[in-house]
Amino acid sequence: MVFNSYTFIIFFAVLLGLHNLPFSWKVKKINLLLASYLFYALWNPPFILLLWLSTVVDFYMARLISLEQRPLRRKLLLTVSLVLNLGMLSYFKYGGFLLENFTALLSPVGIVFQAAKPDIILPVGISFYTFVTLSYTLDVYRRKFAPEPSFLNFALFVTFFPHLVAGPIVRPEDLIPQFKTPRRATAEQLSWGLFLLSLGLFMKVTIADGLLAETADLIFSLPFPVQTLDAWMGVLAFSGQIFCDFAGYSTCAIGVSLCLGFVLPENFRYPYAAIGFSDFWRRWHITLSTWLRDYLYIPLGGNRHGSVRTYVNLMITMLLGGLWHGASWTFVIWGGLHGLFLCIERLWRDWSARRRAKVTELVVEGSLISRASVIPPVAVSNSFTRFGLALLTLFLVNITWVFFRAPTFKGAMLLLLAMFGIIPNGATMLTNLAILTVSIITVALIGCHWFMRNSSLVQLSKRLPWWAISLGWTIMLILVILTQKSSGSFIYFQF
Amino acid sequence: MKTTAYSKAAGLTLLLVLAFIAGWELYWRHENYVLSYNDDESLWASKRKLIYQSSPARPVLIGSSRIKFDLDLSTWERITGQKPIQLSMVGTSPRPMLTDLGNDKNFKGTVLIDVTEGLFFTPTGSFPEKEAINRVTAYPKWSLSQQISFQINRILEANFLFLDAERLALNPLLNLLPIPTRPGAWGGPKFPPEFAVIDIDRQTKMTDAFVADTAIQNKVKAVWLDIGAHSPKQAIAGPPLLEILNSTKQSVDQIRARGGQVVFIRTPSDGPFRQIEKQMFPRELYWDRLLAHTQTPGIFFEDYPALTGFQCPEWSHLTPKDAIRFTEDLIPIIEKKMSRSIPRSSSSPTKKNSSSL
Repeated sequence: MVFNSYTFIIFFAVLLGLHNLPFSWKVKKINLLLASYLFYALWNPPFILLLWLSTVVDFYMARLISLEQRPLRRKLLLTVSLVLNLGMLSYFKYGGFLLENFTALLSPVGIVFQAAKPDIILPVGISFYTFVTLSYTLDVYRRKFAPEPSFLNFALFVTFFPHLVAGPIVRPEDLIPQFKTPRRATAEQLSWGLFLLSLGLFMKVTIADGLLAETADLIFSLPFPVQTLDAWMGVLAFSGQIFCDFAGYSTCAIGVSLCLGFVLPENFRYPYAAIGFSDFWRRWHITLSTWLRDYLYIPLGGNRHGSVRTYVNLMITMLLGGLWHGASWTFVIWGGLHGLFLCIERLWRDWSARRRAKVTELVVEGSLISRASVIPPVAVSNSFTRFGLALLTLFLVNITWVFFRAPTFKGAMLLLLAMFGIIPNGATMLTNLAILTVSIITVALIGCHWFMRNSSLVQLSKRLPWWAISLGWTIMLILVILTQKSSGSFIYFQF
Repeated sequence: MKTTAYSKAAGLTLLLVLAFIAGWELYWRHENYVLSYNDDESLWASKRKLIYQSSPARPVLIGSSRIKFDLDLSTWERITGQKPIQLSMVGTSPRPMLTDLGNDKNFKGTVLIDVTEGLFFTPTGSFPEKEAINRVTAYPKWSLSQQISFQINRILEANFLFLDAERLALNPLLNLLPIPTRPGAWGGPKFPPEFAVIDIDRQTKMTDAFVADTAIQNKVKAVWLDIGAHSPKQAIAGPPLLEILNSTKQSVDQIRARGGQVVFIRTPSDGPFRQIEKQMFPRELYWDRLLAHTQTPGIFFEDYPALTGFQCPEWSHLTPKDAIRFTEDLIPIIEKKMSRSIPRSSSSPTKKNSSSL
C-alpha cells in the first residue's frame, strides 16, 4: 500500500479510529501490528514471511547474544543473524547482479557459462527493514542496551508501517521506548501530522510525479544525444524528482506517525542548500548516512588509523552505500563519486587548516608581507560565498545523479557529454513548457532550501499566522487533487 | 508550538478544499462536460483479468484506437449477450499484448487484432510498443492495494466530472497556457478535449460536440498531419519486417495450439490518411503478407460492401452511430472467417435499426 492511494485513506481512517477508541494499550499495539502487516501484505502477501522470519530470528538471536558471555559464542550468534539478514538481502537484491558479473568474469578466460535468468522479485522495503533489524542485533551485541523483553514491542518496532518500506531507518532507541507507554496524538499533533502528510503528498504527487517525472523519464530514456539545455533540464528534473519523491515519502511517514502519537526521526534537512558533501550527507537521507557511519565507517576504523585509512574507509562506506541503492555498477559509481568528493573535501579542509595555522603563525610573527603572499582562505562566513559553494555542491550532486538515474553506464556518459556540450547538435526534445516547469521548480527548490537551511518547518510555522498555514495547506491539497497522476510507487521502494 | 493554531488551520483548510471541490465540479457540470473515465493501468488490468472468460462471443480485442472507436461493445453485447474484453491501447502496437496472450498458458480464447499498419509494423521496442509493454509488464504486479484503490476510484469517477485526468488534471490544464512552441521540439499530439470520451469498458466514443462541429474535426485532422510529420517516412521492410511476422506467427500459433482463435481486422480510414497508408504500406506487402505468413484469417474493410461507405470525420475513426452499424455488419463476417457461429442473445433482435437510436 502506498500513501498516495485511496486504499491508504480508508486504511488510515479506520486505524486512526481504532487507535482512539478506549482499548487497552496492548490491544492498540496489536492493532498497529496487524495493520502494519496488512499494509505490507497488500503488495505481495507471501513476502510477509520474510518479514516474520527476520523479526523472529533477530528477536531471539539478540536475547541469546545478551545472555551469552563467551565471546566466540556471541560472535557466532551474531553471525547467524548477519548471515540470515544479509543473505536474504543478497539473494533477493543482488542475486541477478552477482550471477551476471560471475558470467562476465568467466567469459574472458574462455568459460562460457549460460546461467538461467533468475526470476527474482525484490520484496518491497527489504533493504530498509534489514538495516532496522541489523542495528538492533548489533547494538545488543555491543551491549549498548539490553534486548527488548516484549516480542510485541520488537515486532512493532520492525514492522511499524510508516517507516517499514522506505524509511526513515529507525533505531531501537528511536521507537521501542515509545511503545512502552500509551500514546495518542493531541489535536495539535494530529493536525500537524495531517499537514506533514499533505506536504509529503504534494511533494510526491504534484512535484515529483506530476511536474518532473515525465521530463526526467524522457531524457534518461533516450538512446541518442540531446542538446545541452535538454540534458541539463533532464538532470535537474530528476534532481527535483528524487528529492520530492523520497523526502515526500519520509514527510508522509513522519506525519502519519505523528497522527498516531509517535515521533519518527528527521530524514531530510534541506540538502540542496548543503555546503560541501559532508554537509550534504548530514542533510540527505540522514538515517541512512548515520547508519552507515555507525555500523560500517566506524567499525572499519573511521578516522582513527591515520589519513590513508580514513580515505579508504570513506570510499568503502560510500561504495557500499551506493550498492545498497541498487544492484548495478551505475549505483557503485554514484557511491564512488560521493566518496571521492568527500575525500577531496576532507583533503581540502586539512590543507586549508594547515595553511590557516601557517598564516596565523606568520601573523604572530608580525609579517604582513608574508601574510599577503599566501592565498587568503575562503571566507565561508560571507553569505554570498556560502551560497556559491552551495551551488557548486549542488552542481556536483547533479553530476552524480546522472549515474544514479541512467539505466546504463553508456547512457550516463552520453548524457554527461551532452551536458558539457562535448557532443554538439543533439536532438531538441523538451518543450518550452517543460523547460519552464523544471526551471521554476529548481529555482524554488534551491530558494526554499537556502531560506530554510538553518531552520525547520515547525520554527517557520511558529512565525506564521494560522490562516497563512491554512492557505498554504489548501493550495497544496488542491494541487494534489488536481494532479490526479501518480506513479503509484515511490522511487526508493526499489532500493 | 502555538496552541490550537494547527487545529484552526486544519479546520479552515478542510472548508476551503471542500469548497474548491464543490465549485470545480459544479463549474464543469454547468459547462455540460461529458463524463470520461481514465484509461489508466488499473482500468486496463481490470480487463486483462477477464481474458480467461473469452469465447467467440466474448473476444479479446487488441490493437490501437481504431478498434476502440469502431467496435461498439454495447452493440456486440446486444447481439451476442456478451461484451468483448477491450485491451486495445490508443497509439500503440498490439504486438506486446499478442505476445502476452500467446505466452499465457491459460489463455485459449478468441482474439480480434486491429491492424493499423503504421502502429502494427513498427520495429520491436519502438515507441508505439513502449506503453503497451509497460501495461503488460505491470499487470502481474497489480497489487491487492491497487485493486482496492481501483474499486474506490471507479465509484468516484462515475460521479465526479473533475476526476477526468485526461482533460482536467494539472498537466492538461498547464498545456492550455499560451506558451510559444520551442523550435525543433515536439511535445506530442494535442487533441481537442471534445474529441472523445472513454467509458468503464474502455470503449472510446466521439462526443456529440465533435461529431457536430467540423472545426473541431479539422483540429484532429491537423493533429494527424502533425503526427505524420514526426513519424518515420519509410515503412519497415526486410529482416525487421520478417522478425515482426515471425513473432506474430509464433504468438498466433501458441494461442491456436491451445484451441484459441485469432482474426485480424482492418477497420476503415479515409481521406489523406488512407492515401498515405496505401502509399507507405501497400496491401500486398503488409496486410496480405501478414495473413499468408501467419496463416490467419483477416477482414479488410474494403473487401466487404457492408463495411465500406463509412465516413470518418477526422479520416481515422468512426462516429458512435457508424460504430453500431459497423459492429452489426462485422459480426457475421467474423463468423464466416472463423467458420463457426457466434451464439446470439436470446433477448435481443439480431440487428437494431440504426434510425431508432
